[in-house]
Amino acid sequence: MKRRDWLKAAMVMGPAGWLAGCYEKPEVMVHEPGKYKGARDPLLEKHARPEQKQRLIERFNLVQVDR
Amino acid sequence: MARMKFLCDAERCIECNGCVVACKNENHVPWGVNRRRVVVLGDGEPGEKSISVACMHCTDAPCAAVCPVDCFYTTDDGIVLHDKDLCIGCGYCFYACPFGAPQYPQQAAFGGRGKMDKCTFCAGGPEPDNSQVEFEKYGANRIAEGKLPLCAEMCATKALLAGDGDVVADIYRQRVLKRGGRPQTWGWQRAYGDKG
Repeated sequence: MKRRDWLKAAMVMGPAGWLAGCYEKPEVMVHEPGKYKGARDPLLEKHARPEQKQRLIERFNLVQVDR
Repeated sequence: MARMKFLCDAERCIECNGCVVACKNENHVPWGVNRRRVVVLGDGEPGEKSISVACMHCTDAPCAAVCPVDCFYTTDDGIVLHDKDLCIGCGYCFYACPFGAPQYPQQAAFGGRGKMDKCTFCAGGPEPDNSQVEFEKYGANRIAEGKLPLCAEMCATKALLAGDGDVVADIYRQRVLKRGGRPQTWGWQRAYGDKG
């Protein structure tokens, strides 16, 4: 390959590569204010059960009340 | 519905910092981050008071209101938690919090703050309960085990109470009736307001 061909190839490939760097992902994460977007915490289901709440109250009475 | 709340009885706190040590030890909190601190009001003056401060798990949490990536969520009974995978360490929650609770480990270059870290009421985060990954990111999940925050359970003078708001309030009311004086529920009005 001659030097001229190399230059031509570089002139074509260079801008193409440069433009490829400007590519923007079309999927955009739209944020609704105040709405949690993260993973679901398994504790939430467990914590909603009445027996779990009772357990925590019993624990409180066992450990934190005045003696 | 009952809510989980912290209450620090300023008349009982002796500034031993046991709660701070218990929290650090239980949750393996990184260097430079203190999820709980003991603050002295009127230091050196007659009648000085000490209070133990951490995230109060506010009813209408200002940190959640300002978070640009909405990484905060609240459990049924009012424990405010966050997802570190979403957090971008912007620091808005730190500016919004009236208690100075959000902390940043400062691990990144160019002043990057790293993911926000705060008291989780020993309830971990959005990972499988009591898993290694949860412990590394958020610390212990005592709530899933049916236990309450270690800072309060370790408090030698029972100054720091953590649990169901109604039960905590009953205990505090009995104490005030017994010893007299005015109730000083530091931070309660600001954290829980009238909606409590």
